[in-house]
Amino acid sequence: MTKSANLNRRETLKLAAAGSGVAALSSMLATQAWASSALTLADIGVGDTGDWSPFTQATGHSVNVVSMGNAPAAVVNQLLAGGGRTNFNIVNIVGGMQEPLVENALIRELDTSRMPNWETNDYISDYLADGTPGFDFIGYDGRIFGVPTVLQGDSFAYLPEETGKLDSYGALFDPKFRGFVSLEDNYTTAGQKTALFLNASGQAQIADPADMTPEEMRTVVDFLIEQKRAGQFRVIWSSFEQAVSLLTSREVHVIDCWEPMVFVARDQGTNAVYAQPREGYLLWAMAAYIVDNPDMSEEDLEATYQLLDFMLGGWYGAKITLMRGYLTNPLAAQYAADHPDQFSAEEAARIREISEGVQAKFEKGGTWQNRWPTHVDVYEEEWQRFKSA
Amino acid sequence: MPLALIVVLILGPLAITLVVSFWQKVGFSMRPAISFENYAAFFSGTRLNVLLRSIWVGVSSAALMLLLAYPIAYLIATRLRAGLVRPVLFLFAVPFLVNYVVRTFSWSEILSRTGSVNTTLVALGIAERPLDWLLFSDFAVYLGLITAYMPFMVFPIWLSLSGIDRRLVEASWMLGEGPFSTFRRIVLPLSMPGVMAAAIFGFVGAFGEVAVSLILGGTGYQLLGNTIQSALNTLDYPLAAAISSVATILMLALIILWAQIFDLRLLLGKIMGRT
Repeated sequence: MTKSANLNRRETLKLAAAGSGVAALSSMLATQAWASSALTLADIGVGDTGDWSPFTQATGHSVNVVSMGNAPAAVVNQLLAGGGRTNFNIVNIVGGMQEPLVENALIRELDTSRMPNWETNDYISDYLADGTPGFDFIGYDGRIFGVPTVLQGDSFAYLPEETGKLDSYGALFDPKFRGFVSLEDNYTTAGQKTALFLNASGQAQIADPADMTPEEMRTVVDFLIEQKRAGQFRVIWSSFEQAVSLLTSREVHVIDCWEPMVFVARDQGTNAVYAQPREGYLLWAMAAYIVDNPDMSEEDLEATYQLLDFMLGGWYGAKITLMRGYLTNPLAAQYAADHPDQFSAEEAARIREISEGVQAKFEKGGTWQNRWPTHVDVYEEEWQRFKSA
Repeated sequence: MPLALIVVLILGPLAITLVVSFWQKVGFSMRPAISFENYAAFFSGTRLNVLLRSIWVGVSSAALMLLLAYPIAYLIATRLRAGLVRPVLFLFAVPFLVNYVVRTFSWSEILSRTGSVNTTLVALGIAERPLDWLLFSDFAVYLGLITAYMPFMVFPIWLSLSGIDRRLVEASWMLGEGPFSTFRRIVLPLSMPGVMAAAIFGFVGAFGEVAVSLILGGTGYQLLGNTIQSALNTLDYPLAAAISSVATILMLALIILWAQIFDLRLLLGKIMGRT
């Protein structure tokens, strides 16, 4: 005979009471779960403020940030094979990858009317409108898939004590700096900047540096191989820390890199300058996409839209601009100025300075980074040729 | 049951990789097929040079590592007091407590133009100015590979040497052979299973290396691991699978060769604690 069969009345009542308590708790938890969503944001390390309490206080939803790589394969693999499609609500990566993400049914089209801050964001209409090259960072096939969270224009950095003032990508290939130059290990950044230089110097005619034909890409790589064999490049860097270290150790004097690396180098006492090249900038934007999880409930979807709207808001924008040195949204600078309890006057001034600086880059123009060029396989093969030459 | 698990968990993924290597890339996806185009792309393009370089770097660095690891293992097995053997072997494991990418990055700091080695050389007047070839060069890559994989090689060689019956060595002496001749005719042949195991550890590690070549290699020092990663970045899984399959087949050929030349049971018996 089992013990359960021997329960007396008192034990039965105790169990019943405990059971009803558990049921009530379960019901409460269920209600709580219905009312507040636990959202997962997969991010490449740029869009995490480290503090999501303002969003949680405003909406009741919590945010769990997980790290994800920015390379196309890393993004697709994590969504397809890494469980991201069922576990993530949003992926926040460098935009321009809509084609593989949409074609693999990994992200869903956005209903921008569900985000009040979308309409007030002038940067979208000014820099990312449909029909302009910037649209490729948030849209695909005339539809919108990404919320722009960060905008930036890249060029290169240099150490003025070693080089004097520089204002052309030609510095990357100037024999005066032979052996003291570094490029990024990325065909869509180093390749495009080289194309800009070749166009400006009249050494080649590349119709669209953002989307080169196979022949144009070969021209660019032939030029780079020639430079490499002449000893122009010291190293091809592949991580943020490595690039900062190259500047702070003065291992290189001219480096094709990102502006926040200059901020970090300056914080470490190195007088590095981010160039304002006359050929223009390599423009890009980060985009936050809603993961196309077929099992996502309407409540979670609504919470996800609320998080995207929060990321288009003043507090988030100000925080990210201050932390990373990137342009975020038009509300950021004013929000910081209006909330001295959250941002000091110095911080507010810094946010405005960064925002205006990046906007000036967009006014100057250049070429938009193309994360997924038409002939991406040729780009990759050619870049292999350059690296193994 | 354990055998079934081994088949599923080890041979299964390898079989899938081999199958995918014959598939065709279509847009952002793959189509099952029996096509050799990925192998053709691999053997006809730039990547063939990368394969040849990887083989050369793997073989040459394994040889260098053996030259260093063998004397160390020999000293530990024959000259060290019994009580010190385990602590010394533990010392060789200590570097592995630090992530190897971090260890590799630390070399780039030490060997840079303003790093401690160059600063010391210039201060002592040994070099007039910082030596560029210390970093982002073949030297730096080999140094990174040796420090990453050589400690792994000490263990199997030590295992082989410590299992040699001392009476054989003593008999050789008593029969009039000198120390060198005894080493050449008795110790070295009997330690060869460990040497070959160590050589395979070193070769496999260097052959498939990604981080050392990336961080210390300078202007795009490509090894096979880097080129596989690059193919994956454009979602070209069939090509990446073809390159991986070639690498796996090469490794397999090496192990079969090893098994043919040396009696695997000698080393396995020692690992299992049997004499």
